[in-house]
Amino acid sequence: MDTTAVLERLREVMRRSAQKTLDWEHLDADTPIDALGFDSLAILDLLYDIQQAFGVSFEPEDLMKVQTVRDLAEFLGRRTA
Amino acid sequence: MRKPRPIVKNILEYIGARCAMAVVDSLSLPAAERVARGVADAWFALGRSRRRIAIRNILRAGITADPRRAAAIARASFRHFGYILAESLKSGEVFTETNWRDRMELQIHPDTMALFETPDRGVILVSGHFGNWELAAQLLSHVKPLVGVTRRMNNPLADRLVQKRKPRNRFSLTPKHDTDIRRLIGTLKDGHILALMIDQHAPRERGIPAEFFGHPASTHRSAALLHLVTGAPLCFAYSVRLGLMRYRLVAEAPLTFTSTGDKEADTRCILETLNRRLEAAIRANPEQYLWAHRRWKL
Repeated sequence: MDTTAVLERLREVMRRSAQKTLDWEHLDADTPIDALGFDSLAILDLLYDIQQAFGVSFEPEDLMKVQTVRDLAEFLGRRTA
Repeated sequence: MRKPRPIVKNILEYIGARCAMAVVDSLSLPAAERVARGVADAWFALGRSRRRIAIRNILRAGITADPRRAAAIARASFRHFGYILAESLKSGEVFTETNWRDRMELQIHPDTMALFETPDRGVILVSGHFGNWELAAQLLSHVKPLVGVTRRMNNPLADRLVQKRKPRNRFSLTPKHDTDIRRLIGTLKDGHILALMIDQHAPRERGIPAEFFGHPASTHRSAALLHLVTGAPLCFAYSVRLGLMRYRLVAEAPLTFTSTGDKEADTRCILETLNRRLEAAIRANPEQYLWAHRRWKL
């Protein structure tokens, strides 16, 4: 799956997982995850949903490298390649 | 939105806390314990609301069906809380890096000890308000660096005072509801212990109902989700007070759960497993549990 396809799917998972309203259409892939306004529990919820949607597992060090939505999409793209 | 606390109340509590610390610091350990017992007895006699909560919780948990026995356990629990407060304040004078094992028996499952001794292996340690959770965390940090997830006190002045006093050895604190998930995950990545308490009432949006002593109790989901997301092993641990500044630290075998895709069921399964471990520890020494907390508030 290429990064664009992953990004699209990721956007869909985030939309379903998020308990708050975001302007998804204008969400930039280079937006830092921290800037999405999720607290730690919401991010854990999201990561669980991403694991299930993409069938991947995370190691703590993988997660530490992810800064932006694009980083996450690229990571998932590599894992699902 | 929560109403701000009156500044005068914060200042008075702060002064009270400073005075209490100064008194405990000036006393010998046995004298500090006698004072703590007296204060706890007075609190039990005068603090009608907390006393009632404690007795009701003990009856509800089925520790006993006899209200008089429940009242005796509640009173002992208040005293225990006084003792551990005094002992936590005095611990810096008693424990050193070389002598701490003389007063803290370790009963750590070999598989858990292997995890503790592997430098790059992070562990999620779960416990409850039982024994002396804070002292246990401080001393366990001699084995492996430990980060405790803690709730900020409502009084910011008292909170700063306590935060300044608490961290010792390789023990540090990180606030609950931290918006920076990297602080929690980073602890695991660095191979440290991330310690969380699971027995405080969780607000509806942050918790899930999980059985505790046979009754649903809104329980924080973070420990379970962190395990499912990072795969870091979960370990239930607690300390038991054996006597004057003497404890046993029990760390059970590590637990591993697999995601099924049903987030709510997965989370509940983990939390109820952990709750059952905590219940067993409490049943063995019910007077060492902090009963005066509205655990079954829904």
